[in-house]
Amino acid sequence: MTRKVTFKAGYAGAERDVTAEIHDLDATPWGLDAKLRVVGTDVPRVDGLAKSTGAARYTFDINRPRMAYAKELRCFRAHAKVASIDLSRAEKTAGVLAVEVLKQPGDRVTFAGDAVAAVCAESEDALDDALAAIDVKYEPLPVAVTTEDGMKPDAPQPDPKNGNVGEEKPNTKGDVEKAFAESDAVVEAEFRTQVQTHSALEPHGCVVEPNADGTFTVWASTQGTQAFQQTIAGALGVKPAQVRVISEHVGGGFGAKFGADAWDHVTARFAKKLGRPVKQLLDRRAEHLVAGNRPDSIQRLKLGAKKDGSFTAYSGEVFGTAGNGRGGAGAANTRIYRFPVYSMKQSSVATFTGQGRAFRAPGHPQGVFAEEGIVDLLAEKLGMDPLELRIRNDPHPIRQIQWKLGAEKIGWRENRRATPGSDKGPVKRGVGCAAGLWYQKGGGNFVVNVHVDRAGRVTVQNGVQDIGTGTRTVLAVLVAEELGIDPAAVDVQIGDTRFPPGPGSGGSMTAPSIGPAAREAGLRAREALIALVAQDAKCKTEEVDWGLKQLDGEPGGFVALKSKNYRWQAACALLGPEGLSVTGQRRDNYAGYHGETAGCQFAQVAVDVETGVVRVERVVAVHDAGRIVDALTARSQVNGGVIQGVSYALYEDRRLDRNLGDMVNPTFDTYRIAGIQDCPQIDVILTSLESGFNNAGMMGLGEPATVPTAGAVANAVANAIGARVTEIPMTPARVLAALRAKENVK
Amino acid sequence: MKAFTFVRPTTVAEAVQAAAEKGAVIKAGGIDLLDRMKERIEDADRVVWLGDVKELGISGALLGPEKDRVVLGATTTLAQIAASDEVRKYVPALAEAAGLAASPQIRARATIAGNLAQHTRCGYYRHASFPCWKRGDDACPVLADGAVQETAAILANRPCASAHPSSLAPVLAACSAEVGWFHPAVMANGRDTLVPGHGPITDLYDRSPQRGKPSDLAIDRGSMRGVIRTIEIPCPAGRRSAYEEVRQKAAFDWALVSCCVRVDMSGDKVSDAAVWLGSVAPTPWHAEAADKALVGKTLTDETIRAAADAAVVGATPLPGNAYKVDLVKVVVRRALERLRAMK
Repeated sequence: MTRKVTFKAGYAGAERDVTAEIHDLDATPWGLDAKLRVVGTDVPRVDGLAKSTGAARYTFDINRPRMAYAKELRCFRAHAKVASIDLSRAEKTAGVLAVEVLKQPGDRVTFAGDAVAAVCAESEDALDDALAAIDVKYEPLPVAVTTEDGMKPDAPQPDPKNGNVGEEKPNTKGDVEKAFAESDAVVEAEFRTQVQTHSALEPHGCVVEPNADGTFTVWASTQGTQAFQQTIAGALGVKPAQVRVISEHVGGGFGAKFGADAWDHVTARFAKKLGRPVKQLLDRRAEHLVAGNRPDSIQRLKLGAKKDGSFTAYSGEVFGTAGNGRGGAGAANTRIYRFPVYSMKQSSVATFTGQGRAFRAPGHPQGVFAEEGIVDLLAEKLGMDPLELRIRNDPHPIRQIQWKLGAEKIGWRENRRATPGSDKGPVKRGVGCAAGLWYQKGGGNFVVNVHVDRAGRVTVQNGVQDIGTGTRTVLAVLVAEELGIDPAAVDVQIGDTRFPPGPGSGGSMTAPSIGPAAREAGLRAREALIALVAQDAKCKTEEVDWGLKQLDGEPGGFVALKSKNYRWQAACALLGPEGLSVTGQRRDNYAGYHGETAGCQFAQVAVDVETGVVRVERVVAVHDAGRIVDALTARSQVNGGVIQGVSYALYEDRRLDRNLGDMVNPTFDTYRIAGIQDCPQIDVILTSLESGFNNAGMMGLGEPATVPTAGAVANAVANAIGARVTEIPMTPARVLAALRAKENVK
Repeated sequence: MKAFTFVRPTTVAEAVQAAAEKGAVIKAGGIDLLDRMKERIEDADRVVWLGDVKELGISGALLGPEKDRVVLGATTTLAQIAASDEVRKYVPALAEAAGLAASPQIRARATIAGNLAQHTRCGYYRHASFPCWKRGDDACPVLADGAVQETAAILANRPCASAHPSSLAPVLAACSAEVGWFHPAVMANGRDTLVPGHGPITDLYDRSPQRGKPSDLAIDRGSMRGVIRTIEIPCPAGRRSAYEEVRQKAAFDWALVSCCVRVDMSGDKVSDAAVWLGSVAPTPWHAEAADKALVGKTLTDETIRAAADAAVVGATPLPGNAYKVDLVKVVVRRALERLRAMK
């Protein structure tokens, strides 16, 4: 059964009516002009106290009685054949419980960090001693670990069946050569980006505990509690239903933590074999080498325009390596602006390195860095303001508004250097901008349970995990909105496969996939309580008003017949001993307002042209994500995206020795990540809008927040110093080299 | 990390005796030592902790009886040095270097002796999976084409291109600090022991790195480790010192290059000078040509530029770190410009 509703969607100044056929049980969309009590306000994280006091338990914190420890022995050669493997000394090491060979003599290792054996022991110290006692002999083989080395015709191949270069069919529209020929201005440039590792604070891994009844309990640091259950069950040789996975708190994921990994399978096998709980979490070096990364890129781009700035044609060739497999690299660089004619070719190059994984907006930060760089170069050639050029070619109605908001906040006119590099003294300042987009509306028919007991306690349950993004708080806010109570009073229980399945936390889909179900469940609970109140007051349900005003200074409550007050507790006391259990479901998406969320960022930098050191002083980040449910948590998401983007632009880099293929900076003091003093002042502007896709008007925010940052910072550096750094991270060496190249041209 | 016995001496005599035993290492803050032990580039049977040795633990800095020198106990932390009124007044460059090092948490634990004794941060040295000349292999892989070279040495970088990471050592050397220590010796009966000694800080370090000897300290011999006891920094009237460094991050990062310039002024002329560099060579580097460019001169722009250029005389940068030559000139020039502005 469905009903037809029409509501105002979009953003003030760019709104329109959306008509949707919605499920009868679905909550009516709020619409753009809705006045909401909690949604959209600053709500502190419901788990903030637990996290800041250390009470929150992460997988890393789980220690069980009789627990043993597992660890893999890694080979740090990028390419070698295992000649022999001798476990005899390791097996005799005190405290060793089991040893497993993962690579047999004759097998190859094809990236530094590849596991060759595994040990399970009584203590971490015994584990260490046993790993050191395994004697593996290798025959070294030739390596190619950079994209360029992998592309050489005679390059060694991780998988000789396929060749190293996997060319995708070019993504084309129109006749590029003709369009370039008819352009008034054409620019060409090559941009390069590095390999960035996810570097979540909590490493990958799990604790597996066999139970007496043949089932297993698993604590996992994962972005997909349900996916982990499916995959670890395979390793344990049982049905998924016989495994309970718990991920109550997760210390970050960024896309690298879906499902059980090879090392988790090892943990599971040891636990099953020994009948004891076994724990294995990766160390930092392994995190960098084997647990995923953002592939690098070499992007050769060409962009043309008419005199008035309208883009005519865009073309490019992109290479990158996503490790020892052949796919997975590629830069997203044709989607933001109106390119009437384009041709973009992407090639993934296999190298002897650890495999890439999805990483916060896969392909986008690298694609945008290059695309926004060439847009700036074109503006320079046309003698146009780069912001004007962008506005002229930007098809997104919301970003048209965002450009103006951001430009005003950063002070584009005042702070943009008309003559780049003209500041007096060695420290030069400048501003730059870049855009981003994302396109996740969520979905998946997930179910949320809400239970209200006679004492008025509200519990929300779903299997979804909170990887630090605020999922728990968003669910509390939506249910609290519908019940007219304080979000802090809602107990959200998540990250457990005993609850109804939730979405994996990827694609910025978590909140929009689960939030609307929570809203619907909250609505069901409210309707049930209204019915009870009406019954008690002997009136019609339409004659019961709810939660709109505070009763006796307490939030929530109901008023029957405009006079009879039922405070929240009193209304809940009308429930039976079993309380009230309801569910809400995520319904299918409606035809929404716009399939893409918009965003743009502006950066102000200070560059010391004598040392080449870049400091990002300010970032203005303007983003939409449909309706913002919790403004505080949303700003925190954007802050995190900006900081990770600054870190990508200036610092992070997996440095491999090109001859040996091993990483020389696998520690946090040498793999540089922006620290507190490296963080700019961040002004977040959220253009909260009604997305029109679901009852809460939500879309995703996690990934888009990091997309434009590196591009904006690079453009600001160019404005500050009058030279363009086309490769990130923008290290002192690269900044000084760019300045020297400019001097040589003069 | 390999299992070890933890030894807690309470007197210098006990500490010296414990440190002289086979397989013993000494631990003060332990910041660098524990990193090496975790990476298993260093295994110890006995870890001798100096934290209970009161004679070593002068809390902060003291002025000498003649008020002509600052005395630091070996286990004085970097945080204490950065906050010390005496150090800030008499050896400002030392307070600056100590205050910039690492992170607040590390500065609260790291000691000055540990800072001087720390091993190179060279990523090749730090991970046993890489070959390393300092750890005894045939060649230094950093010198090969295709190696990661940005942070490597630009001076005296063959046969080993590791860069010495201490940012306090150049300051102490430029300021003619003297170090008191215990160094290994063999007794008449043939047994090993540690005996007291002292000398200019320049004597603390090996003249050049030695294959198979990770420590850069001359007072560490074979498997025997010396123990640093005190550091004394003379501070005569008319002395000025400044510390400068370049690092990529503002928060917790290693200097790409660092320098300390110390000048003794006689009127507006430099009567004596010392220019020392950090993170540019396998040991703290004395840019003697820069000293010579300064002595007898007034600090004009021209003198300063000449000294900055002289600081990198003899540099042999690798393809991946030529930019460090430019950075050295910048830090030396900036330090001198600050010294000129001091009264």
